[in-house]
Amino acid sequence: MTDEVKVETGLYYTSEHEWAKPSGEVVIIGISDYAQSQLHEIVYVEPPKKDAVVAQGEAIGAVESVKAVSDFYSPVTGTVVEVNEVLMNSPEKINSDPYGEGWIAKVKPSNWDANVAKLMDAEKYKQHVSTLKH
Amino acid sequence: MPVWYEGIISEHKAVREACGIFDTSHMGRVYAEGPEVVKFLDYVDTNDIGALTDGKGVYGVMCKPDGGIVDDLIVYRQSTEKFLVVYNAGNRAKDFAWLQKNAKGFKVKLTDMSDKLGMIAIQGPKAAEVLAKISATDPGAIERFNVAPLKISGFDCLAARTGYTGEDGFEVFILDDPVVSPTKSLKVWNDLVAAGAKPCGLGARDSLRLEAGLWLYGNDIDETTNPVEAGLKWVVKMKKPSYFNGKRALEGIIEKGVSKTLVGIMLTERGIPRHGYEVYDGEKKIGVITSGGLAPTLDESIALAYLPPEYKEPGKEVQIKIRANLVKGKIVKHHPFYDESKYGWKRVKA
Repeated sequence: MTDEVKVETGLYYTSEHEWAKPSGEVVIIGISDYAQSQLHEIVYVEPPKKDAVVAQGEAIGAVESVKAVSDFYSPVTGTVVEVNEVLMNSPEKINSDPYGEGWIAKVKPSNWDANVAKLMDAEKYKQHVSTLKH
Repeated sequence: MPVWYEGIISEHKAVREACGIFDTSHMGRVYAEGPEVVKFLDYVDTNDIGALTDGKGVYGVMCKPDGGIVDDLIVYRQSTEKFLVVYNAGNRAKDFAWLQKNAKGFKVKLTDMSDKLGMIAIQGPKAAEVLAKISATDPGAIERFNVAPLKISGFDCLAARTGYTGEDGFEVFILDDPVVSPTKSLKVWNDLVAAGAKPCGLGARDSLRLEAGLWLYGNDIDETTNPVEAGLKWVVKMKKPSYFNGKRALEGIIEKGVSKTLVGIMLTERGIPRHGYEVYDGEKKIGVITSGGLAPTLDESIALAYLPPEYKEPGKEVQIKIRANLVKGKIVKHHPFYDESKYGWKRVKA
């Protein structure tokens, strides 16, 4: 890998490379820069459905490249209030801007404090990724 | 070979539109020589080896006595008593052992050349033009499925007008270039890149062959599938003069009819079908996808699957189970999936 993997501070991460970012009433979720770089050229996203009740750690969708499928596990428990429709026709936004335009869904959390206790902060996640990089 | 150099999609498109190259030096390559080499090859290969003349090659399969496919392969006749046999990398040990076992009783000598020859596939509508730039004579003179000596980058090679992408192109064998220090192959590779070819990886190799409806051993064919159900009856020459491995079993299969047949599916809803996904007709599971993916040229999701023969008619609707959802698709022609007036080797000649 040539590029340095970006880990944004202020976000919370799972060991499966999803991120969660509290924003007012909701938590925005997506996949990390490391995850997108591993998949390379993302060609398809199956987001969770709006209004779906999701649990932390549950597979709620998928992100796919030409060659591989990666399940998307919810980093948060709650109700999906919005999905990023832009990804339907522009899934490559996850490659170009995984923490911004490439967000996957917004979830209204039901027990964020319990969820966040199981997530890594940026510092910890950076260490996690460094153990995976060769 | 890496999965990709620059990216699967751009590498795939380079082959459909211009020229891409693949390092295929992992493939199995064997010299079969001797006074009974034709007899031997006609015994192990379902296609008609006796019909080949010097410089001609033919695609076929090797079957077990029960008709199951040991591997698919290309056999080239270099001279009356010398043939080059090329098969899948993943089956190298198995195939060589199979050839040796079946060679008993034939006056034939088998030499595993896999580690002694370089091999590069040069594929795409501009393959002949690109290869010509670094060759001593015009490779365009070599006809489809023919093989001929060719000096490339100054080295002695064999060039076959074949490939695994659906496009026009060549598979070149760089002679006397051991895999442990492939100096000649590296020079040929670098010269090809300088001549305008794009290095391509395994990802594009797979997406290209799938669009062309070409079989991948281990996915679409294996020892539990036979050439009749795989849509490979055209390489089984029942009327060739000599007996071949699997002939009796295949006669029975043809007479009785098959219970499943390989079909092409194109999704009509969003999703990407993958190897192992189940195919449904309403509530009923009718088969499994053997290969699937996004077709970069067509911008469609396509798949190969074994389904009961009543589903083989194009247009018939089926569903594919993708995670929790049943996604709609329809049966389409698949060998190849694309329109041959727009893509593939046939349009290059026209």
